[in-house]
Amino acid sequence: MPTSLILDSLVRSLQAGSLYALMALGLTLTMAVVRLPNFAHAELITVGGYVALIVSMGVSTSVPVILCLAFIGAGLVALITHRAVYRPLARLNLSTYAMILASFAVGLILRYLIFLLVDRFDFFDKPVKVPQQVLIRTPDLILTSVFAWGVPTALLLMLALSVVLNRTDLGRQMRALANNPTLAKVIGIPVDRVHDLTWLLVGGLAGVGGALWGIYTTVNPLMGWLTLLSVFAATILGGMTSFAGTILGAYVVSFSENLLMQWLNFQFRVDFSFKPAVPFVIIIVVLLARPQGLTGLADSLNGLRRWRGPTG
Amino acid sequence: MNIDLLATAIALLTFFGISAIMALSLNLEYGLAGIPNFGKALFVSIGAYTAGITYTRLLPLLVGKAYLDPCGETLAQALDLRVRAIHDQPGIAFLNLGLTLLIAAIVGGLVGSLVSYTALRVKEEWYLGLVLLVGSEVIRTLVRGYTPLICGINGLSGVTQPFSALDNPTLSAACFMALVLAIAVLAYVYCERLVRSPFGRLLKAMRENEPVTLALGKHVPRLRAQVMLIGSALAAIGGVLFAVNLGFVSTNDYAVGFTLDIWVMVVLGGVGNHRGALLGALIVTVLNRATAILSIWANAQGSQFEFNYVRYILFALILLWVLRFRRQGLLPEHAETTVAHDELSVQP
Repeated sequence: MPTSLILDSLVRSLQAGSLYALMALGLTLTMAVVRLPNFAHAELITVGGYVALIVSMGVSTSVPVILCLAFIGAGLVALITHRAVYRPLARLNLSTYAMILASFAVGLILRYLIFLLVDRFDFFDKPVKVPQQVLIRTPDLILTSVFAWGVPTALLLMLALSVVLNRTDLGRQMRALANNPTLAKVIGIPVDRVHDLTWLLVGGLAGVGGALWGIYTTVNPLMGWLTLLSVFAATILGGMTSFAGTILGAYVVSFSENLLMQWLNFQFRVDFSFKPAVPFVIIIVVLLARPQGLTGLADSLNGLRRWRGPTG
Repeated sequence: MNIDLLATAIALLTFFGISAIMALSLNLEYGLAGIPNFGKALFVSIGAYTAGITYTRLLPLLVGKAYLDPCGETLAQALDLRVRAIHDQPGIAFLNLGLTLLIAAIVGGLVGSLVSYTALRVKEEWYLGLVLLVGSEVIRTLVRGYTPLICGINGLSGVTQPFSALDNPTLSAACFMALVLAIAVLAYVYCERLVRSPFGRLLKAMRENEPVTLALGKHVPRLRAQVMLIGSALAAIGGVLFAVNLGFVSTNDYAVGFTLDIWVMVVLGGVGNHRGALLGALIVTVLNRATAILSIWANAQGSQFEFNYVRYILFALILLWVLRFRRQGLLPEHAETTVAHDELSVQP
C-alpha cells in the first residue's frame, strides 16, 4: 500500500477514533449510571453539530466558543429528555425493552424536529465554518488545523472526565450509583441531582463530539444516527460500563473502519460501501463471543482501568 | 385535487393486510414468547429479497426464456421480460408468486430459528434485541453493497402483482387486496389457535418465568427456536407481499424505522393480544396513509411543509403516551383463567 494512503487513513482513524471516544464515553456513562441503552444518544450528537453550525454562522467562529456552546446546548437537550421522558418512565419500573423503545421515540422526535428546522432554513450538509490553516504539508500528507482541534480536545475532555470521576464528590456519587443504586439511595446520595448532572455531562460530551464532527465533515440531521452504531460498537467493545475500555474500543472501531477498510480495499478490492458493516460485525461478534468486551484485557494492563462498572 | 376514493380505500386495505401479518408475527414473538425482536425488518426484507431473486431468476426459467442480467446493460429487456411474462401468462405469474411465498417462508423461518440460538449466548436480555437490530443492518448493508443480487443501491422494479392480466388497474388492485386480506385472515386464525393451544400457554410460561419453565422440563431454547421460526416465516410472507404490492425491492425500505413501525403497532394495540395487534396495524396504516395524502395535498398547494417528518414525530409521541399512560395498550391481554378459577370464584 502506498505511504500516502497509509498516512491518510492513519490520520482519519485517529481523528474519527477521538471523536467516537467522546461520543461513546457519554453512552458508557448513561449505561453505567442510568442503566439505559439510549438510542437517542445519536440525536444529542446531531444537536451538538447543529448548535455548532448556528453559532459559527451567527455568533463566533472561534473554536472554543463553538465547542462550549455545543456542550451546553446538547447537555440541556439531554437534561430535558431525562426530565420529560426517562425519569417519569423509570419511576414506572418499565422493562428494558420499553425503555429502549422510549429512547427510540425520543430520538425520532428530536431527529424529525431537527429535520423540520433544517428544511425550513436549508441547513442540509453544511460544514461548520471555522478558520483553517495547513499545519504540515508533505507530498504524502497534509495536516490541517482540524486535526489539531479534534484530537487534543478529545484527549483533554477524556482527561477531564477521568478527573471528575475519580477526584470529585460528583464522580464518587456517580460511581456509587453505578455500583449499587439501592445502597446509594440508602446512604443518602442525592440521586435526582446526580442523574441530572450525569445527563448534562452525557449530552455535553456527545455535543462536543458532534460539533467536532461537523468541523471535520459536514452537519446533517442524520449524522448522529449514522455514527450511532459505531459509537455503540465502541461502548460494547469496552464492555458497556468501562471508560478506559470505551476509549480503546473507539480507536479499535475507527482503525478498522478506516485503516483496515483501506487495506481490504487495496488488497482484495472490497468496496467502500461495505464500510458501515464494520461496526455491526464488531457489535455482533463481541456480544456473542465476548460480552465483557475488552475489560478483561484492560485488567492485565494494570492501572488503565480505575473502577469496575456494575456488571464488570 | 381529486383523490380517487376507491383506489385509496383499496391501497389502505392492502397495506393494512400486510401490516397486520407483520404485527401478528411480532406479537407472537414479543407478545407471547417475550423475544425482543428488534430485527423485524431483517425477516421482512428476507421475503422482499426473495421476491427480487425469484422474479429475476425463477420467472424467466418458468416461462422458458434465457436469464438476463437485471441490473447491467440488459436492465430494460429484463424488466420488459418480467412485466410481459406476468401480464401474458397469469398461470405462471401465480405459480411464481406461490413459489416465492413458499421459499420466503422457508428461508425466513430457518434464519429465524437459527438466530434464536443467539439468545443462549448473550449475557443480558436486551443484548439479543441489539444483536437482531444490528443483524438487520448488516444484511441490509451487504445486500446493498453486493450489486448483482437486487441491483444494490438502485433497487429492482417490475416485481409486480400477479393480477395485471386483468388490464384494469382498479380491479387488479382489488383482487390483490383480496388475496392479501385472505392471507392476513388465515394468519390471524392461525395465531389465535396457537394462543389457545398448549403450545401458546407454554410460550406465555416462558415469557413470564423462564427458569420455572426450564425446571418443569421444557426445552426453552427449542421453544424459542420454534416461535421464531413461525414468526419469521410469517414476517417473510409479509415481506413478499409488501415488495409485490410496491412492485419494487429496495434496501432503503427495510431500515430500523421499518422495525419501529411494527413495534408501534404491537405496543399501541396491546402486547399479547392478537386483536390488539390488528387494531394497532389499522391505526398505524391509516395514520401513514393520511400523512402521505396530506403531504401530497400540501405539496400541490405549494407548501414546503413536510408532513412525513410530522408522521414520525406523531408515531413517537403515540409510543411515549402508551408507555407512560396505557402500558397494556388499547386492547389489553386477557387474563389466563382456568375452569377452576371460575368455579371457585377466586378474585383475580
